[in-house]
Amino acid sequence: MALRELRFKAGSALWRDLRPSIYPARPFFTRDASTNALQDLESSSFTVPPPSEDIVKSYDPVARSKSRKNELPPSRYQYRSPKYYRGPLHPHQPPPPSDPSSRLFTPGPFSLPRLEQTYQSTIAPDLLTLTYTHFPPGYRAPPKAQRLRSWEGDSPYFKNRPLRGPRGGDNLRLLTPPKTFRNIPKITGVTLHSMVPDAVDDSAHLHVAGMVMQAISNVRATTHKARRSVQQWGLREGKYVSVTASMKGEDTFHFLGKLIDVVLPRIKEWKGVKGTSGDSSGNITFGLPRDAVALFPEVEVNYDMYPPKMIPGCHITIHSSATNDRDARLLLQSIGIPFYGKVVN
Amino acid sequence: MRRSTILHSFYSAFRPLSTRTLPANCLRKSFSPITQSLRAPNAAPFSSSSRLLARKGKGGGQKKDNRITQIRYHLTHQKTPRPLRFSRLRALRHWTIHRAWQLFRAKQRTAEQLELERQYNSMREACEALRLMDERGMSGQEGGREVGRLYRIAMEKKGIWDNVPIEYARIQMDYPSREGWNHEWTR
Repeated sequence: MALRELRFKAGSALWRDLRPSIYPARPFFTRDASTNALQDLESSSFTVPPPSEDIVKSYDPVARSKSRKNELPPSRYQYRSPKYYRGPLHPHQPPPPSDPSSRLFTPGPFSLPRLEQTYQSTIAPDLLTLTYTHFPPGYRAPPKAQRLRSWEGDSPYFKNRPLRGPRGGDNLRLLTPPKTFRNIPKITGVTLHSMVPDAVDDSAHLHVAGMVMQAISNVRATTHKARRSVQQWGLREGKYVSVTASMKGEDTFHFLGKLIDVVLPRIKEWKGVKGTSGDSSGNITFGLPRDAVALFPEVEVNYDMYPPKMIPGCHITIHSSATNDRDARLLLQSIGIPFYGKVVN
Repeated sequence: MRRSTILHSFYSAFRPLSTRTLPANCLRKSFSPITQSLRAPNAAPFSSSSRLLARKGKGGGQKKDNRITQIRYHLTHQKTPRPLRFSRLRALRHWTIHRAWQLFRAKQRTAEQLELERQYNSMREACEALRLMDERGMSGQEGGREVGRLYRIAMEKKGIWDNVPIEYARIQMDYPSREGWNHEWTR
């Protein structure tokens, strides 16, 4: 390796010596409309002179291919990505998802949504400024209490017991790191969910709901079964009753743009999202009634195509990279979703 | 007439990606409701007995909404194209463009990150200067009297977590309207 590099180095050094040390001064050149535009371009196939006569005469691709002993492999790309991933040690590895031959390949993105641009240019710097907390040089964060508590007491059975979970629940909540320019909360996705209990009797409700979700979100909807029977709600185990569509990336911003600019302002007497909403890890859910779902432009232009009684209401979950509800709420307020009532963090 | 308009409105949303026409005796074509509905009404069915008569016993005679039929048809017949298979040169071209796009995005992201970092650093320096500033605007001792009053006020962050004014949240656009906000509006 080093030897090869040395050869390259020597070659370039020699070349540097051969070149004249002073370049001939070029005439000052500005192009106006009358001069040839091709001169401005880099060297292209237009500026290169065409091949000479004898090259053109001697060019015979058919004879050349016939003279070949072994046939070339076909030009069509025959590779097939493996259907299942069999682990890192398997000789047949799938290509990266950016490769069109990969089974995970998704073309796109095809557009740059306005909301994404607004977030980059305005909202992210503003959130950074709003939530900035100053730590003087030499500041050290005080040590936090143990997240998993040890068993304290006189009982001999406490010895070697596994640690207890935090107070108020067994699951550990997310940690919130100090806010810097690297972890400004951003929107990572949206999930639409619509529960259609009528689908137990007539599957048409489910199909219409799926079509509406798909039209709104630009994502193929997936259906879900009821996990257990509930007599009061008319649920029967194993029957398909709900539809979800989860968006990521470009689709998310298009959907939120439509929601904020077109749908939410037209809902009558809508107060906003309840302040208590949220799963305390940065995801906030709210619901839309069925007449609000009908306000989405995709449904509205084609309203006659859907049986009006079957257009479903839906739940919208906005996933953000914030680790608590307070930050997520600030983010959603800054993109234009109002909140009302008592606020719970 | 009504059926054909319905078909047309869905057709624009689910445009088939291949315009290849199906052969005349294709199974899918002969059974699809599109061709069924497009067929001339007086064309005789294959069987000489009337289909409606035969179904009358168990069908109950109630007709399904045609819109639901259409929705079901389009949900089950997704026009998903087959996976892309590129020839050698097209694959290379795709790879080149993909790499270039990734490089471009990486540069953009770095520029955005650097801009945010610059803002963060200047905020930190400003807060540090405020923290060590006394009443006359001179840098004083840390524990001194009336030192860092503005800093303490700035760190209170009053009303930060209250509602963001709704006027703030306007998604940017190329040509905002002259009267984008109706200030006279009252409930």
